[in-house]
Amino acid sequence: MNRPSEFTRASVFATAVLALSALTACASAPQGASGSGTASAGGSYTWWDPYPQHDASSAWAKRVGSCGQQAGVTIERTAYDTTALTNQALLAGQEGNAPDVILLDNPAVSTLADAGMLTPMADFGLDTARFDANLIAAGELDGKTYGIPIGANTLALYYNKKILDEAGVDPASIKDWASLGAALEKVKAAGAKPITFAAIGTEEGSFQFLPWFWGAGAQLTRLDSPQAVEALTLWTEWVKSGIAPNSVISNSQNTTWEEFLTGEFAFAENGTWQINSAAQADFPTGVVQIPGKDGGVAATPTGGEFITVPVQKDTARYAVTKKILECMTTPEGLVETGTTFAYYIPSTADGQEQILAKEPGLQPWVDAVRSAKGRTSDNLGTDYPPISEALWTAVQKALSGAASPADALEQAQAQAEQATGE
Amino acid sequence: MRAWKTAVGVVLVGVMLFPVYWMVNVSLTKTSDMRADPPHWFPWDPTFEGYAAALGQQLPALATSLFIGLGAVALTLAVSLPAGFALARLRPRGARAIDFLLLVAQMIPAVVMAMGFYAIYIRLGLLNTVAGLIVADSTLAVPFAVLLFRAFMASIPGEVMAAAQIDGASTWRTFRSIVLPLSRNSVITVSLFAFLWAWSDFIFASTLNRNSDVIPITLGIFRYIGNNTTQWNSIMATAVVASLPAAFLLVLAQRYIAAGVTAGAVKD
Amino acid sequence: MTSLRTEPVAVSGAARPAAPRGRARRWTAFAFLAPLIVYLLVFYAYPLYRNIELSVHDYTPRAFVQGDPEFTGLENYLDILADDTFLRALRSTAVFTLASIAAQYAIGLALAVFFHRHFRLAAPLRAMFLVPWLLPLIVSASTWSWMLNSENGIVNAALQAFGVGQINWLTSPDTSLLAVTIANIWLGVPFNLVILYAGLQNIPGELYEAAGLDGAGAWQRFRRITLPLLRPVSLITLLLGLIYTLKVVDIIWIMTRGGPADASTTLAIWSYREAFGTGQPDFSPAAAVGNLLILIAFVAGLAHVRLQRREETA
Repeated sequence: MNRPSEFTRASVFATAVLALSALTACASAPQGASGSGTASAGGSYTWWDPYPQHDASSAWAKRVGSCGQQAGVTIERTAYDTTALTNQALLAGQEGNAPDVILLDNPAVSTLADAGMLTPMADFGLDTARFDANLIAAGELDGKTYGIPIGANTLALYYNKKILDEAGVDPASIKDWASLGAALEKVKAAGAKPITFAAIGTEEGSFQFLPWFWGAGAQLTRLDSPQAVEALTLWTEWVKSGIAPNSVISNSQNTTWEEFLTGEFAFAENGTWQINSAAQADFPTGVVQIPGKDGGVAATPTGGEFITVPVQKDTARYAVTKKILECMTTPEGLVETGTTFAYYIPSTADGQEQILAKEPGLQPWVDAVRSAKGRTSDNLGTDYPPISEALWTAVQKALSGAASPADALEQAQAQAEQATGE
Repeated sequence: MRAWKTAVGVVLVGVMLFPVYWMVNVSLTKTSDMRADPPHWFPWDPTFEGYAAALGQQLPALATSLFIGLGAVALTLAVSLPAGFALARLRPRGARAIDFLLLVAQMIPAVVMAMGFYAIYIRLGLLNTVAGLIVADSTLAVPFAVLLFRAFMASIPGEVMAAAQIDGASTWRTFRSIVLPLSRNSVITVSLFAFLWAWSDFIFASTLNRNSDVIPITLGIFRYIGNNTTQWNSIMATAVVASLPAAFLLVLAQRYIAAGVTAGAVKD
Repeated sequence: MTSLRTEPVAVSGAARPAAPRGRARRWTAFAFLAPLIVYLLVFYAYPLYRNIELSVHDYTPRAFVQGDPEFTGLENYLDILADDTFLRALRSTAVFTLASIAAQYAIGLALAVFFHRHFRLAAPLRAMFLVPWLLPLIVSASTWSWMLNSENGIVNAALQAFGVGQINWLTSPDTSLLAVTIANIWLGVPFNLVILYAGLQNIPGELYEAAGLDGAGAWQRFRRITLPLLRPVSLITLLLGLIYTLKVVDIIWIMTRGGPADASTTLAIWSYREAFGTGQPDFSPAAAVGNLLILIAFVAGLAHVRLQRREETA
């Protein structure tokens, strides 16, 4: 191996030259005219959110813009898809050019807060007491609040009324897993497809599994408990017996919904955000809460974005940022956000009352959000992401037949323990 | 005999392009039919919403992508043609080291490259500029281009070069008047790839050009992928619309190769 | 390039360059290489350095933002080698890469030879083969997962017509690697076709004519003329194919995310998943896996240079 030495020398040399050139470039090059990436200009505030589907002309963009106007500044909004947003935020944090405001998916709040990138809400005097405790929990880390929910959503079971009528199933009869199972069997006997859900190997897979996991009485701190095995066995049996399609293993929530819209499925586990789409489907639809194993309503995980404020070198900027945040979270503001997003349930009691006055039909969803549970709560914080990864991996293994539910969860518990250092 | 070959060619293209047909099919399908079981072979009940969205919203992004693609081609050729020539013909010192560097360079994961560019660009003020994206996209093709030019230029018969030397032509003139014209095929091949790689780049664009007003088409598509809904027909329609100008360029390039071949034959 | 009328021997392998004349020659060579050298130094060295630096520290998200990671030496590498995923990912990488480049090359060469003949519509049909390349990867990968869906995919619907039962292409640990390999082969054929076709055009037509007079059949001509004269181009095509396939992420990620149960997890997917695939970015192990891949390519490069040198001296 005498050749590589030549290469090594070349690469060491290369690195040195680059370091030099970067230094000189740093000293001499003026800021590019069109380089608007940094939050520098005086009257403009940068805002990142995970809604690329809402472009500059959308109601959402206008709403963000008007909150900037009220605070006397212009807002430069940039939309990323959810996964890219966290990475981009970390990169920007490292380079010291984080935006003034980031709307983050709630499990990411702990991660960025733990990285020291976010300013606690208390530091610039924002009152967080008026937000529902179960919703804001996901924004808390070590007793400090790093973000406030601009709204919340959660999961329930949508059903196709036409199929249920034909199969003779009364949705009100679904009280626990046994009665749900009976309903699914009836639908199957009537020749329709019973249920679809998303078991994809991502956070979405865990999100969709949690109502069943919690509904069986399992805890995220113990992934291989008998209750957890029961929940995973339920899903596994559904896939094995054809009650649920095999493709759930690779289905995202969007795909699941597209399947439901074909009118071939009796039930679909999906979220608040599909209310409009369900109303426009070619068939009548309805919603039931996801039942707990032995009755009652299962706790569902809360979803939805949090407003966070990345640490700025120039702390004078916080005063304006505070005004923008307040504008977004007044009861009226929350209702407006809620309707813009079809639908977000407001995260304060005032907001919930106002939106119900406008849209009484949202009552089951408001109830669901009130009884929902944050994924990072139970003081899991930054332990949640690795636990969740272990959980969705177990779901994938069991559903694809690579391991039995019990074995898959046992491996998951070991994986989670290793990752969280316990 | 020849008609038979054409028929086989058509069948082969049909098989190869079936996924493309499927994409067109989806672009015309209504959301409620998209996941039907069994799937619809043909969009009997088409919707043109996707095309309306694509044509109404994506044309500027399309132009940006074309410009970036052509810019990346120009930069790639400017860097790699002389280098390929030197490596193939001039026996420079450290040629092997450069070979290795080129190979290793291509192995650096795209994400790591993007993070590196981000760090460099933020200092140079090149974030969110088209020029910055052109430079970044050219890194997808340059190592490949150098290696390919090297392989092709090495196969130019030594006699042709020697004759030029005897004529007293300078190395630059030999390169310009003899090697370049003889390398037309490989230049077109490289241009094609450089263009296509820049055209389909997503990682650089998403890391380096997010806040920009001018975005390439691969980023444009992302406006149809929401958190909670995916507008598949718009995505597929955008892909169809976007591939048309590029397909046109391809056909032009093919003509050019064909023309080159005929011109050569006439010369003899 | 049919205008080249020289002895065919000169075409094969790297012909000797015109004799260099001392120092001036060296400087000329350097001048021609200078843009490339600057380019490599500026754009590749830093990311490479960065990848190595990431891999010998413990970069948690916090350390990443604050810039104060703990130096851990080779610990990340040792952890990776000891991980259960490593051997499985190595095996999947080998299967995925070798199957992909073998099939891409074979299909690409067959198509190149086929389209090299003159027949009606040959040029436009050949151009059509490039269309898959015009599509953004996210679109083509999504289309493939669409077609391979267990219940409502067109592939299963077609197979059903022949009495084949439902195959869970993407959702069974037995078939997911095969499924992503097929999609990747489809993506790689145009690349091979274009380069090999350009290579074929550099082979003087007279050789075939002469062989035809000697009474050699099509297969004989292919084996005696096409394959040997295409060798340098073939070598570079395979080497580049190897390098590109080793680092494929997008298509596998979109189709299966390396699953189910890690069945289609290659080293590149593993690296990507550690860094970006979960809620918690682990940049350091990701970089270590990435560097392992670079090492593999490095070995392949060594083998390539060996082969090339043997060819030059032969």
